[in-house]
Amino acid sequence: MSNESLIAELSSGLAPVQRRNMLREGVLVIALSAVELALFLALGMMRPDMHHMGGSPFLIWRVGSLGFLAVTACVLAIRSYSPTARPRRGVILACALAIAAIAAGGLVAPEGVSGRTLLERIAPASGMLCAASIFVLSLPIMALLGALMRRAAPTQPRLSALASGIAAGTCGAFVFAFCCPFNDPLYIVVWYTVGCATVAAAARWRLPRRFRL
Amino acid sequence: MVAAQDGHGGAYRRLLAEMSEWLTRYFQRRLPPGEVDDAVQETLLAIHRRRHTYDPQYPLGPWLAAIAKNKWVDQLRSLARRSMDELPDEIAVGDHESAVISSSVLASLLEGLRPAQAQAILLVKVQGYSVEEASSQIGLSSSAVKMNIHRGLARLTAIIEKTTDVE
Repeated sequence: MSNESLIAELSSGLAPVQRRNMLREGVLVIALSAVELALFLALGMMRPDMHHMGGSPFLIWRVGSLGFLAVTACVLAIRSYSPTARPRRGVILACALAIAAIAAGGLVAPEGVSGRTLLERIAPASGMLCAASIFVLSLPIMALLGALMRRAAPTQPRLSALASGIAAGTCGAFVFAFCCPFNDPLYIVVWYTVGCATVAAAARWRLPRRFRL
Repeated sequence: MVAAQDGHGGAYRRLLAEMSEWLTRYFQRRLPPGEVDDAVQETLLAIHRRRHTYDPQYPLGPWLAAIAKNKWVDQLRSLARRSMDELPDEIAVGDHESAVISSSVLASLLEGLRPAQAQAILLVKVQGYSVEEASSQIGLSSSAVKMNIHRGLARLTAIIEKTTDVE
């Protein structure tokens, strides 16, 4: 087929298209996260002492940093779906913010950790359960971001998929932060990082498949 | 592009034609000649499928260049995946150069003759028809065909003698 006949075929019967709108996509992701959080809390999953911890620096750090990371990562992921975007910068920025949030965790005084060993503080059995919960909670966000990515035109789909995974992971971690009973920053840093990294790896592996510009 | 996004087929056709020219030049500098058309058409299809992702607030050039670059990389990957088999010796054929040159020279010489003479020489002396077959094809008598061949060959001889370099 010649270029001319292809052009004639493509331009005949051309239908109007709805332009991609990043703001609408962002609102969609935030709305899904909000619905997920509302359902999660409605099911009675919120930790019982949440109301008493209102002004606690630990809670502010945990929920605040995860919320900030989730919103930033979602914005960076959605921006990376544009053909002219450079997702590498977004991924580096998201990782840098995550490191800054982890470092800020070092400033938060841990509660009730005196006299406990490192293994007791990390609590691998509970930690793996937390990481698995974060993974499950991030799946709907990952599916939505995957659908948005497939509809858009990322020219570096692997990096965009990684950015989507980081965004989905932080959203899942943010929702889970309202349920997690542990008050040790070390525990949060280790297992939330494991949860988010698992989601990012799964997204990096799964989302670019069958994607074709 | 904005008109194309709104469903204006004519504007879209003009846009794709201009993009096609630009893409041809773009890929000619980056791919082997046999791959250029494929790359251009793949890119046009990608532009068509993803035309909703263009944001009119930004210039079209970088958007197009980003998609073209992606398709260029795709094409390079597919080239790398393709096996490069060596051609067997038996597939080699004789040199066509002399035949091509002869044909080209003959065509230019015949242009110097009257059409009837050139046609008669071509049919009888080159293509091997008999004088009778040629006369029925041309619509002249056999003697007229013979006369045209005779005069045409004489004229060709004169042309060749005048030409300093006929290869």
